[in-house]
Amino acid sequence: MLLKYTFHRFLMLIPVSISISFVIFMIVYLLPGDPIDNLIRVGSSPEARERLTAKYGLDKPLLTQYFVWMGNMLRGDFGDAIVLRRPVADLIKQNLPYSLTLGGLAFAFSSVVGIILGTISAIVKNPIMERFFRGFILLGSTVPGFWLALLMILLFSVTLGWFPVSGAGSWQALVLPVLTIGFGGIALVARVTRVALLDVWRADFVKLLYAKGLSGRAILFKHLLPHAMLPVVTILALRIGWILGGAITVEFVFGRPGLGSLLIRALSQRDYPVVQGSLLMLALAVMLGTLIGDIAQAAMDPRVREEKS
Amino acid sequence: MRYTKKKQLLSGLALLTAGLMTASAVFAQEATIAFATSELGVTSYNPVTATLLNTANSLIYDRLVVQDADQSYKPHLATSWEETPDGMAWTFNLREGVMFQDGTPFNAQSIADWIPDYRGTENEYLIDAIESVEVIDDLTVKFVMKRAEPNLLYNLASSFMGVPSAAAFDRLGENYGVSEAVGTGPFKLEEFSIGLETVLVRNDDYAWASELSENQGAAYLEKITFREIPDQSTAFLELKTGGVDVLLGVPTDFLEILEQESNVTIVEMPGLGIQYMPINVTAAPFDDILVREATVLAVDQESILNSIYKGVGAVAKNFLISSLPAANVDPALNVSYDLARANELLDQAGWAMGDDGIRMKDGEALSVKLFTQNTTGFRRLSQVVQAQLKDIGMDAVITVFDGSTIRDEYKRNAHQLAVRGYSWNNSDILDWFFSGERLGYPNVSMWKDEIGQELNDVAMTQSATSEQRIANFTAYHEYVLSQFLFAPIYQPTINIAYNSDAVTMPEVIRGVRFRAQTALDMQVVE
Repeated sequence: MLLKYTFHRFLMLIPVSISISFVIFMIVYLLPGDPIDNLIRVGSSPEARERLTAKYGLDKPLLTQYFVWMGNMLRGDFGDAIVLRRPVADLIKQNLPYSLTLGGLAFAFSSVVGIILGTISAIVKNPIMERFFRGFILLGSTVPGFWLALLMILLFSVTLGWFPVSGAGSWQALVLPVLTIGFGGIALVARVTRVALLDVWRADFVKLLYAKGLSGRAILFKHLLPHAMLPVVTILALRIGWILGGAITVEFVFGRPGLGSLLIRALSQRDYPVVQGSLLMLALAVMLGTLIGDIAQAAMDPRVREEKS
Repeated sequence: MRYTKKKQLLSGLALLTAGLMTASAVFAQEATIAFATSELGVTSYNPVTATLLNTANSLIYDRLVVQDADQSYKPHLATSWEETPDGMAWTFNLREGVMFQDGTPFNAQSIADWIPDYRGTENEYLIDAIESVEVIDDLTVKFVMKRAEPNLLYNLASSFMGVPSAAAFDRLGENYGVSEAVGTGPFKLEEFSIGLETVLVRNDDYAWASELSENQGAAYLEKITFREIPDQSTAFLELKTGGVDVLLGVPTDFLEILEQESNVTIVEMPGLGIQYMPINVTAAPFDDILVREATVLAVDQESILNSIYKGVGAVAKNFLISSLPAANVDPALNVSYDLARANELLDQAGWAMGDDGIRMKDGEALSVKLFTQNTTGFRRLSQVVQAQLKDIGMDAVITVFDGSTIRDEYKRNAHQLAVRGYSWNNSDILDWFFSGERLGYPNVSMWKDEIGQELNDVAMTQSATSEQRIANFTAYHEYVLSQFLFAPIYQPTINIAYNSDAVTMPEVIRGVRFRAQTALDMQVVE
């Protein structure tokens, strides 16, 4: 049953991917600007400009350009960057490991700490703790990443001198970016965990468990948490997309390479093939994240796979 | 007893290690430099095919000639050169004993192999005027020209004309400049992580520095790490905490903060361009030359220099940086703020001052669109210009765009005024921004004029010698100024900040930018 469900969900990805590729292609071309402007320098003639436009196929009708691009994509060819002058696949390959490391660690950090914090806040019925917790969630979900990043640098690098200000050459340089991105995630995961736990707590079966004489700890770990994890898993799955693309401003402040930095640079130069390639990667990551979340949910809750398969 | 001996031995070893570590710390001639934001994103150190290069590239490769801050050309890999009176041939005598970093010798054949590599690349225009390269003898090479090119030395001094080793260039093909890059420069490429850092190590055999550096031997620094830090605030904090020793290209508005740091020294070099306000001559009311002249005279350059830039840099009086010979135009054509004259001209043009301080003509208010780019510097400058235009009764409405979108707006002819800048130390920038063949962008003034185009063509293609070229560009420049196509505003400086507790640098940096000549003289403070 689960296998059938997974297959069904996987098939659904094909039309979604095609539509997304079309939207990405069109959005990029509808943006005002021209990559050739970023390529020509003082001294090159108007004819040289026309030659370049033709060389990169930018003089062809839009739909022709789309089909050429799509055809190449299906063959695994991301094309060559116009301004950055490297194969797009190479650029993505160079930047992806940085994004995966930073995003992956921040994801793991925010998930673990978020679930623990959410659980504690649901258990501890203390007004001061509750206020602290609410304040933390509010801060975590509203403080902008770039600002928090600068604060982190001022405190941990400039004042205390514990970690380097920027870079990506050592594990120490990872700590502050992971904390910065993780902070927002913790607040979100903790909030969802807390609400879900409190929700399950009110269910009838919990009263029964208490009546049966089970210890509070056993009820929490064996019964409450597994039930409460359903919405948490959904939220976490949605955040998988963030692993790749959610760190743009943080990458910028900490001077780290990554898919986000690549995308921003390519966008400002209108380097179409790079923008399309990176956006497609990000879209695929979000789709895969959703798929993983759906499958995990289905595995945890039989009702889901029966409803949807 | 045995325990004590062991303890003593261990302490001795520890002391020795500590001593060695201290010694190596003292003598480690290593420096970390943060690139300027304008040079971020380089994907290859192949000067032949790249469209963007950075400072590290200029440390790997030497060029035939180098340019000094006064824009004069000095010998480097070429010790002397001669141009025929008709400009149809150039002979270069090459320096003896120069070796590429891969051990192959640099000679006339290296030049003959290298020049044709540009054919078919985006940088072909650099060598376009060269018909063929003849090897006269091992150290003499002759360029036979298709047409006279008095700008040849400028091209040869460009970073894009660093001379690579033909052996490495041919061997590596597409990968040249990414996995390996081999020049004759004072530093060798050790490691290149795109978007992160470039590590260079000293070329110990280097003994052919140009006269722009005091040190004529190998560099003092053994290793330079160039880092890409996109955020200016982060770069500043790195300098403050010792993460980097030098910041290249510090924006002028950051200088005040940096000056407060006791260990930071700032070196200001003359800049390579100006900031100005092009006027769209096709958009009313600027199709009237009187309105254009009034607008140009309304911009108070001195007050902008003092209020925004705290006196750092210089005012711009015409379109070229002061060190270029073609900037020496008839003084009467240089632009200076004159509010009274500006108001007089607008009265003359029929724009009468309204009660609300905005001029009116035929029931229409003197309200214009002022476009600019979304950087803090340009936004601030535009706001000051906007306030100054108000003094002549002109209501300028600012719209801010990103760098790519604004070019589309220019091409759509949607603009009236714009605040922008350029960085290019050659008179041919006049052709780039005012040629009738490039209307919209780069010709933001949308100026197409018969006499102007003729003067442009003469300056660009009919100058045989550099003297003729200067005279022709001066004439073209003067005509451009007489048409009030733009308001010159400001000549920025190039600012370099360094941690004086960590490194030393010459007080005056020679050359047009921080390049090999300065890196050769840099030392770690012991």
